[in-house]
Amino acid sequence: MSFYRLLLRFAPRRLRDKHGREMEAMFRAQLADARGRGGIAVAAVWFHALADIAGALPRNLIHHWRRRGRVGVPQERRSLMIGSDIRYAWRSLNHQRFGSILVIGMLALGIGSTVAVFSLVNGLFLRPFPFPEPDRIVYVNETAPKWNLEETSVNYHDYAQWRRDQKVFEAIALYDERAFNLATDQGADRMQGASVTMDFMKVLGIQPIIGRMFTQEEDSPKGPLVTLIGEAVWHERFGGRADVLGKELKLNSRVFTIIGVLPKAAEFPGGVRLWVPMQGDPNTNEQSYSFTGLARMKPGVTIEQANADLVRTQQGIFDTRDKERVVTPFARDLREQFTRDFGTVASTLGAAVSLLLIVACANVAALMLARALARRREMGIRLAVGASRARLLRQLLVENVMLSIVGGAAGLAIGQWAIQLLLTSLPDQAPSWTNFTLDGRMIAFTIATSVATAILFGWAPALHAMNSDVRAAMATATAGSTAPVRGRRTLWALVVAEFALASLMFVCGGLLVRAYDRVRNTDPGFDPSNVLTFTVAVPAVKTPDDASGLAYRKRLVERMRAVAGVTEVGLISCAPVSNCHWGSFFTAENAPPRGPNDPNPVILMRVASPEYFSAMGVRLKEGRFFNTSDGSGGRDQDGTIIVNDTFVKTTWPGAASGIGKRLYQGSGPPASGRPIRWLTVVGVTEDLKHYGLERPVRPGIYLPVPIYPRNANTVVLKTAGDPASIAPAVQAAVREIDPEIPAYDMRTMDERLALSRSLRAAYSWMLGVFAVMALVLALGGSYGVTSYLVSQRTRELGIRVALGAKRSDISRTVLKGSLAVVSIGVVIGIAGAIGAGRFLASLLFGVPPYDAVILAIAAIALAATGFLANWLPARRASRVDPMVSLRAD
Amino acid sequence: MKTREYLILLALAEADLHGLAIARAVQELSDGQTRLWPVSLYGTLESLEGSGLIEELEDARHRPADESEKKRFYRLTRTGHRALTAETDRLGAIVKIARSRLKPRPEGAK
Repeated sequence: MSFYRLLLRFAPRRLRDKHGREMEAMFRAQLADARGRGGIAVAAVWFHALADIAGALPRNLIHHWRRRGRVGVPQERRSLMIGSDIRYAWRSLNHQRFGSILVIGMLALGIGSTVAVFSLVNGLFLRPFPFPEPDRIVYVNETAPKWNLEETSVNYHDYAQWRRDQKVFEAIALYDERAFNLATDQGADRMQGASVTMDFMKVLGIQPIIGRMFTQEEDSPKGPLVTLIGEAVWHERFGGRADVLGKELKLNSRVFTIIGVLPKAAEFPGGVRLWVPMQGDPNTNEQSYSFTGLARMKPGVTIEQANADLVRTQQGIFDTRDKERVVTPFARDLREQFTRDFGTVASTLGAAVSLLLIVACANVAALMLARALARRREMGIRLAVGASRARLLRQLLVENVMLSIVGGAAGLAIGQWAIQLLLTSLPDQAPSWTNFTLDGRMIAFTIATSVATAILFGWAPALHAMNSDVRAAMATATAGSTAPVRGRRTLWALVVAEFALASLMFVCGGLLVRAYDRVRNTDPGFDPSNVLTFTVAVPAVKTPDDASGLAYRKRLVERMRAVAGVTEVGLISCAPVSNCHWGSFFTAENAPPRGPNDPNPVILMRVASPEYFSAMGVRLKEGRFFNTSDGSGGRDQDGTIIVNDTFVKTTWPGAASGIGKRLYQGSGPPASGRPIRWLTVVGVTEDLKHYGLERPVRPGIYLPVPIYPRNANTVVLKTAGDPASIAPAVQAAVREIDPEIPAYDMRTMDERLALSRSLRAAYSWMLGVFAVMALVLALGGSYGVTSYLVSQRTRELGIRVALGAKRSDISRTVLKGSLAVVSIGVVIGIAGAIGAGRFLASLLFGVPPYDAVILAIAAIALAATGFLANWLPARRASRVDPMVSLRAD
Repeated sequence: MKTREYLILLALAEADLHGLAIARAVQELSDGQTRLWPVSLYGTLESLEGSGLIEELEDARHRPADESEKKRFYRLTRTGHRALTAETDRLGAIVKIARSRLKPRPEGAK
């Protein structure tokens, strides 16, 4: 309601004074009537009320200006003056070219950074998913707090149960991103794909371009080998011909028949180029959690209802297989799921860039105000010879809009360039479905920002400066004396605001850069220098059993050793900081039986060859690494195991050493009738940041390669020289062993490490850049204001010099005044930064928000900036020649 | 005379009313065709008052300190009544002429 009162500010004052309350009451009654008739009626009332006020607007303005302007001066012709306005504005802007370029540059910087951040926000949070009614699609997964896993991935048996019993979904499906070896004439290519259950496209709401979806029979165990290909593959490999249906593709050395082509929108969650049916067996009851779920809710169903229904369908499993209720299904909004990591970052960047825009706007406002003050005389003369006030205001508006259009266009270009730069520096961080190209929303955003900036920060100050009495303006301006007190105060206030915001941003940016530095210097627990890693995809048909799997890997290692420049060759199932995880459970000998509510954290399980540890630079805490005889007995005999320090601490709290202790794979008491395969700890490694530098370390273990030979798919090469330079030779050597087994994901460990912190690097540096930009803007703003004020005081200063003031006194006076203003701003800003630091805590990686070094650097940098900005004008003031200055104007 | 002015006068011919009641009466009289919104309603009331067609009802009992607090009732002046009658006659005459000229179209013509 008070908003309507605000709107009434635009109604004719005469009416408002007399009938304000009644008008408000009337609007309230109309609104109340409309409420009964629903949202559209309410919107209609608002619309009519706005139109009603807007209808009275021109009359009001004309009346206002006529009353305040001069009387009896002939009216200018009102129509078609825009052309001359633009011409005049151009002349005036061109005349003050330096000032105009400064304003445009500031606007472009402010708007450009805002556009860059907005396009991030737009791509991540605002742009709709390319599916019909995307709001009804939910992400489905399972959670197991007792295993210390927020998401376990979905168990196929659980899924089968949900699909049979659920009542809230139109369709529910699982997908599993997989890569295939696609046979070509030259050998094999690696192609990203997915195995999906039959309803997957029904969930997304997508139809094949040609062909059909998987049938129930095809999505059953041992079903026919069929595949759907993506539009891109269709065009690249089959020339987009309709006779592609029924053609064959050799995937993972098996022949699949193409039954359809899917459009680009189906490439969810991104980069998927072909699909095969999952062919899961609901009757296997194994403890394997490896799929991800999606479901389309029926219309009107909420996420809460979907969650409740999922838990209800899980009841059968709680009653039989999972009596401790360890694993619980959940559904979550799709966008929320895929943007979880970005929420804090996006809001921090949004806040920072808004502050930057405000600093830029304060600058523009200060410049425009100073300019308007300097032009009071011109305006006074134009008024006196008969220009109407409305005309002058329109003239100023046109000038400002022209500036903002140029600034906005430049800003849009800068923003686009910045976002492209950012995205190329973040290859794998943005979710792959996102799209950051220019769209209508961004253009609208840029136009709105620029125009709002122009009107609020350009036109308003001009109005403010002009709104004084004509005669007074003429008198003071003619005398060429100091600026009016009101204008001066506004200028100082703007400088205070600029410095406050700049120091706030400088401190926050500094904290984040420092946090980044701390992350970068964190010990990863391995030695990333001169290490090349890659993965081989060995199709199951190539190595049907462990013996053949082991034989292939032996050949691979031997061949790698022969590559020039390689000094050590290791095999691992899952390299550090590579976004992989393979979990299992282990039980220690003589461990007390676990209560139903005791946590049972999942253990990171890796398979490692003896040479892996030295190639990767993993450090031994006690005991020994594997040797070639470890695991030679295979899975069915007692064996050896290496564990990490965290494992020892969590499994045997208080134990001095883990060496010699025994454990077995599995959770709870061993199944009766089957002998226990004991694993004896032979080595304890120091902790290694497997999940990334900022993530906690989980208990983890290593098993020798012969235990699970077909999982040891990543090859780790320690090299004598630059590891990247031998990549082609390595690639060729892998193909030489078997042309249908390509090496992929070839990266040095340094690259992987850099990639794992690239998101933090990006936003830290963005904030750092924003902070420096704010500083530069504050420098320019303060310089401009002081210069203007000094130029206005020329006469006064001249008098002082003439009366015997020393030049050093003059510059000191000028400096003292400006620096006082600057320091007020800095103090406010730093106080604010200490408060704001708390909101950043989650991004600071343990750096305290009141970090003394950063605060000191910020204070010094800003003080130096303030001094620099004011020193030149002060010096200029001290050089005032009394004779010249007294004659000036 | 504008439609909304005419309708306001017509509403006030029946009873002395305040702003919101006038708006409601006008909506009813025009069969929902004309709705008045705050600024245009009070703007019209002001101009009608200015030309002497309506006047504000003096209420000695209730006089709040703030002018805008007041709920103002309006009544038709004698001039206003005359103007309303004249306008009604004029409109009636126009309608009569229009009716006599507008012959129903022959069936089937397009």
